[in-house]
Amino acid sequence: MNLLGQNRYGLDEVVDAVVVGTGAGGAPLLAELAAAGLSVVALEAGPNVDPAGYGFDETLADEIYWTEERLSGGSTPEAFGGNNSGTGVGGSTLHWGAFVPRADPRDFRLHSESGEGCDWPIAQAELVPFYDRVEAFIGTSGPTPYPWDGARRFPLPPVLRNGPAELMAAACKTLGITATDAPAAVVSRDFTPGADVPERRACIHCGFCHQGCRTRAKASMDVTYLPLAVARGAEIRAEARMHGVERDKAGRITAVIYRKGGRDHRQRCANLILCAGAVETPRLLLHLDLATGSGEVGRNYIGHVATQVWGTFPDEVGMNRGYPSSLISEDYTRPKGADFAGGYLIQSLGVEPLTWANSVARGRGLWGTALTDYLRGYNRVAGIGINGETLPCDANVLTLSDETDALGMRKAHISFGYGSNEHRLNAHATAVMREIWEAAGASDIWVLDRVAHTLGTCRMGRSPDASVVDPVGRSHEVENLWICDGSVFPSSLAANPALTIMALSLRTAGAFLGSRPSR
Amino acid sequence: MIDHPVLFCLHVLGGSARMWRPLAERLGPHRRCVAIDLPGFGDEAASPGGPVAAMADHVAAHVQAEAPPGPWLLVGNSMGAKIALALARRSEDGDPALSGLAGLVLLAGSPPAPEPMAEERRQAMIAWVDADPETRRREAEAFVSANVGAPLPPEDHARMVEDVLRANPQAWKAWLASGADEDWRGRIGTLGTPALVVSGAQDGDLGPEAQAALTLPHLARHRHVVAPGAGHLLPLERPEELAALIHAFLDNPPETTESPTLPPAFAALMGSDRVNTRLRTTLRERMREPDGPFCLRPGERATLAACLDRVLPQPGPGRIDLARRIDARLATGTGDGWRFAALPPDAEAYSRALRTLDAAARAAQGRPFSDLDGPDQDALLDHAAAGRLPAVPDGIAPELMTCWFEELRAEAVRTWLAHPAGLAAIGFTGIGAGGDDADALPGYRLTGLNARESWEGPILAAAGDAR
Repeated sequence: MNLLGQNRYGLDEVVDAVVVGTGAGGAPLLAELAAAGLSVVALEAGPNVDPAGYGFDETLADEIYWTEERLSGGSTPEAFGGNNSGTGVGGSTLHWGAFVPRADPRDFRLHSESGEGCDWPIAQAELVPFYDRVEAFIGTSGPTPYPWDGARRFPLPPVLRNGPAELMAAACKTLGITATDAPAAVVSRDFTPGADVPERRACIHCGFCHQGCRTRAKASMDVTYLPLAVARGAEIRAEARMHGVERDKAGRITAVIYRKGGRDHRQRCANLILCAGAVETPRLLLHLDLATGSGEVGRNYIGHVATQVWGTFPDEVGMNRGYPSSLISEDYTRPKGADFAGGYLIQSLGVEPLTWANSVARGRGLWGTALTDYLRGYNRVAGIGINGETLPCDANVLTLSDETDALGMRKAHISFGYGSNEHRLNAHATAVMREIWEAAGASDIWVLDRVAHTLGTCRMGRSPDASVVDPVGRSHEVENLWICDGSVFPSSLAANPALTIMALSLRTAGAFLGSRPSR
Repeated sequence: MIDHPVLFCLHVLGGSARMWRPLAERLGPHRRCVAIDLPGFGDEAASPGGPVAAMADHVAAHVQAEAPPGPWLLVGNSMGAKIALALARRSEDGDPALSGLAGLVLLAGSPPAPEPMAEERRQAMIAWVDADPETRRREAEAFVSANVGAPLPPEDHARMVEDVLRANPQAWKAWLASGADEDWRGRIGTLGTPALVVSGAQDGDLGPEAQAALTLPHLARHRHVVAPGAGHLLPLERPEELAALIHAFLDNPPETTESPTLPPAFAALMGSDRVNTRLRTTLRERMREPDGPFCLRPGERATLAACLDRVLPQPGPGRIDLARRIDARLATGTGDGWRFAALPPDAEAYSRALRTLDAAARAAQGRPFSDLDGPDQDALLDHAAAGRLPAVPDGIAPELMTCWFEELRAEAVRTWLAHPAGLAAIGFTGIGAGGDDADALPGYRLTGLNARESWEGPILAAAGDAR
């Protein structure tokens, strides 16, 4: 994005807030604080990439993935990098799928409902006005009316369906399952929410959402909230890797130390807002021994059960074309007669070849001519997948490994495994997806077990003993430390998280502004 | 090993014998270059040029006059390469005047097929050669500049421009209007003469993908080398590198089709303006054999290569050297953002896992893994996948071999599908989603089932039944 002419703050100037991370958690908040007249500096570890330069190539897209090594342990080790972790001005929204279901109200009180998992300290209704604002600003495309939420309105009509969506739609119709065009933060028409944000061209259906959107049709933060933030006076420093803080005797943070251009810089600040995601945020806190008194930082790591079912079709599918997940069903948010708490959503899947082949090689275990023969069928395969609730548990935890990175910071070690609820949910969903794919006419059906997203580790809650931040994102322990990203999620919600993170970001911004003594 | 050969060197359109001087100097006295002015060029500018066969006759006469006492080679740049191919056919067909041909060196060669060239550019080049002197000089300068990856040394540049200007316009036009367009595919067929094919990653129509699609299929014994940063005038741009490549070729000529070919339709898409320059350059550079640094020991590399032949068999002709690419990746220390916590860092995991496999082969059969028959290798890989390989000191524990083998499979497919030959094999059209103008990207208009756009058809047809 264009950072020429942005505001510049001096290192010795005590800025109102340093925001670490420019993704779905950091960007909306940055824009809100700047618009309120605050002096704000965002530190982004990754580069400032020009979308026009994306290459339509999966390996080139490494430039927008967080490829520094993390260690994955536990009984269901999770893949990071391109699977869920981004870098660059815009954070993980540079590679996100822009699939924007709203979280279901019942998921916020899962424990009250089922005795399992964890209630959020807020109700979904509190987020609705923020969802509305985010969607109007970033431009969501989808079907109005929306079958599972009569109040939801999409500013733009749905994007085109692709082959996997057509297959899933026909099968769901046969089976009596409600399915419709996906809620997508990809503009189906030329779109601009206002003069501060350059116009974005309509989607060209290239299919490379996860490799960076060249046309800016996809709502990444660098084409939405960050230009707004800069227009309102925020400063964004790219390739600026935060790794230290200075604190006063009372424990308040007085400055942030970051590495840029091979040397350390020190930015004085009145507040620190960490928005580095559910791996890097707790990693920084543990590294700096910040807000660790309760022992909650790093605990309750969660993701989504993101199992996929694949099949081969007599049709030419060509699944790389079009918006990858252009169909949704939310019929299984609370499946009837389920033997598990929570639920899941279903989406159709088109996947670019290298990502798909990686899944085939790992998940299906094929090798030899069976592998090459199957890969050659790329243009005839299609997938269907879920995002399902995972419950927090003690065994799923982020800690620091003994191995260090180039900055001398210890690498993150993430233990993750399914409990019985995830196994039961997964079995249910797999059976449903198989049934759909059989009805769609698939042959050679197989199941890819997979975990998506990075959430939890700094959960929000009312009790300082059982959470890291309060219900608006302020640290229980360090008065001028705030957190706003997927790490504050107490439970995973059966929805892709980024839209909810953006809504929380606006909400945290409001709370932050409200917390300041009036001047 | 080809001992003390004579190299007959055939220049590019607009060039002359003297453009081989930098290479000849570097090849040294035991690899003697005989550079020939082709009809209509250099000191032969009085000739109006002619068709490929006539130019081949001209070269054959030189070879005969020279009467090389031992083996000799044909080295051709662009236009010169097509003439070399025609002569190689005559030699293989038993022409006594051409016996002793021991190798071909084809530099950014014009292929046996009609040369891919935008009609607009062809017509413009035909037009300016007859223009006024000032225009001719300006265009000649532009022609030379456009055909190099980076500016030439000033003297070489000036000499090349002078060569273009002294060429006979009739010969210049004859090549553009008909010579380049002659279809020699059927006549040339498949040559058995060992060939070194070099392409420049910054070349235009005759870059790496065109060589892989249009030239390599005519050669039963070939090695294709991509020169990063180089354009079309390789003898002037890369004399040092070419000398090294030719020495290596003479010491160890290819026995088989070493490098992967590409379907012409995929190469044409790669070269088209539906593909952005960054992607095209990247795909071309992935066709190049990485030259290190590497980190595996020779025995480990051999085991890895043998594993990969079983894990991701490539029917050929020609294969992507996946092991070399993975070894180079391991040496960089970069990765994809995570690893199984139970495995050591990638390079160490590979090294130890490969030694574990090799130890199992030696224990069971008394031979290294790479010497086993395919089915025996498969049996060991099955054991590795199932966590049943015997533990060895300093190896990878049996149950962790399962994780490593998953890593290996994943890295194999990722490496394969980063290469144009892999993408072409699965009929992937996505590289054509858009060129350099980010404000006018075509993307796909059709996204539904059984709906293909006209430009996709040839790619899909080349991949067989897919889609």
